[in-house]
Amino acid sequence: MIGFLAIYRREMLSLWVTPLAWLLLFAFLLLQGVSFYITVDHFTHFSSLSVEGPVQSYFSSLFIPFSLLFVCPALTMGLFAEERRSGTLETLLTAPVSAASVVHAKYLAALSTFTLLWLPTLLYVVIVRNVAEIDWPVVVASYGGLFAIGAAYLSIGLLMSALTKSQLAALMLTTLVLFGLFILGVGERVFDPGPLQAVCAHVSVLSQLEDFSRGVVDSRRLVFDSSVASLSLFLTRRVVDSWRWG
Amino acid sequence: MPLIDAQGLRRTYGQLVAVRDVSFSVGRGEVVGFLGPNGAGKSTTLRMIVGYLGPSAGSVRVNGFDVIEQPLLARQAMGYMPETAPLYPEMRVDEYLAFRARLKRIQKPELAAQVEQVVHKAGISEVGRSLIGSLSRGFRQRVSLADALLGNPPLLILDEPTAGLDPNQIHSVRQVIRELGASHTVLLSTHILSEVESTCTRALVIDRGVLVAQGQIAELRRRRGQQRAIVTVHDRHQQALGLLVASEHVLGVTPVSATPSLVPPAPFASSFEVDNIGYGQDAIVSLLVTFEPSANVHECLEDAIALLVGSGIRVREAKLQQSSLEDVFRQLTGADVEAT
Repeated sequence: MIGFLAIYRREMLSLWVTPLAWLLLFAFLLLQGVSFYITVDHFTHFSSLSVEGPVQSYFSSLFIPFSLLFVCPALTMGLFAEERRSGTLETLLTAPVSAASVVHAKYLAALSTFTLLWLPTLLYVVIVRNVAEIDWPVVVASYGGLFAIGAAYLSIGLLMSALTKSQLAALMLTTLVLFGLFILGVGERVFDPGPLQAVCAHVSVLSQLEDFSRGVVDSRRLVFDSSVASLSLFLTRRVVDSWRWG
Repeated sequence: MPLIDAQGLRRTYGQLVAVRDVSFSVGRGEVVGFLGPNGAGKSTTLRMIVGYLGPSAGSVRVNGFDVIEQPLLARQAMGYMPETAPLYPEMRVDEYLAFRARLKRIQKPELAAQVEQVVHKAGISEVGRSLIGSLSRGFRQRVSLADALLGNPPLLILDEPTAGLDPNQIHSVRQVIRELGASHTVLLSTHILSEVESTCTRALVIDRGVLVAQGQIAELRRRRGQQRAIVTVHDRHQQALGLLVASEHVLGVTPVSATPSLVPPAPFASSFEVDNIGYGQDAIVSLLVTFEPSANVHECLEDAIALLVGSGIRVREAKLQQSSLEDVFRQLTGADVEAT
């Protein structure tokens, strides 16, 4: 556990003393700011036309999956790829810590940073509260849904980072996989009802965000997200173990 | 129980066999040099010992623990400094060492003292707050060495600890290693022979993945080195040469220098006294005598002196030539290895 915490702290330090996390935070908040502005603008002019509230509108906008697609690969690209490139992996894996500790500590650091990025958006909720009713369970469900999707996406990014020695390759691989998943989800609205559409609906990020932002917490979606995360983490541990024999 | 016990280590990378059937052990308190030309399999072997690479066949036990079966216990017994001294450039030296100390399960109450101690031993007190990325190669090497020392492990494994350093830095790193040798067991790899001669008590020589020799430094010197002596005679050197060539166990005799040569060949400079240069009309000639490898070189030399003196030749000086480790190394790792 002491080794796990040490690696977690080091990953957090490395993320936040280098410009990466701050640049991400900047770009991310800019994006969320625009999204929030559009939401507010919409509701000041056409509030009577909307069937959903501002919170739903914000969380089900296309800005959210777009932010996830750009933030998650960037957060995870360096986790293993950079260590492999620079050789520090050798010192890490010869320290008295298990491969599982290394993988989980890095994952948790990425997930914590991801959570920190979303933290400032709570201000929007505070702002909206001053002018409208807030449905708190919906807010909690929305953030919960985001967290679950982030957990799945970051685990995929971690796996991709372990598969290559280049951060850029890891970034592109992760983006490719996540974009593939996103497009698969869009299939729900393209295909006719049937097994194919059912599969697409099951993995659809858009539908998950819509459901959760209406306060509908569908456990199947949470099971899907945690399955993706568990599988990716398992595979990452296997990859890390396999380096010894490669 | 030896601290390192490697049995039948073999490692392949695809078709390439990097290390084949290497077995050796290192006892407590030894400072062992792992010697071999570049690409001989030194790093691969060390990486198998520290558990970074798994052996394709064979096993390693460190401090009694199998490095694959009980990796955490085995790793706790050793400090490892990889070849390139890889570090995180974005961290400060003290941050990095504190991180490594936590990784090595050093508890909080001792942590600061431990870090301070290794910083002192490695001589990096003045760069504690510096970013690792801004350090020179020599300092990085020492930070990496300090990391290996954390937790005071009984065994230190240093992969080319002086690679890429300037002569002053090499000197100070060797100094540190010698000091560490007093309290730790050290296994260090190098392709520089003088490093082994100056810091180690025992050497393992590896070439093309095969352990070609192991033993005490002195023993290795004896082992394959040519047996040669320098005999310096005053006058009548032709006769001396004839006598020596004809005697038993002598393979060859070559005059290597004669006064008044003002610049004697460097290795034999000590055979001359400054006074002799240009002294008198009689030549003083040094003869390099090569004896059969199997012969007892000390007796051979005594016989040769007796023979010369018996014939009335004035012998100025007679000296056995220590075969340097360089020779041993070249012979062990040279073309003749294929024959053995």
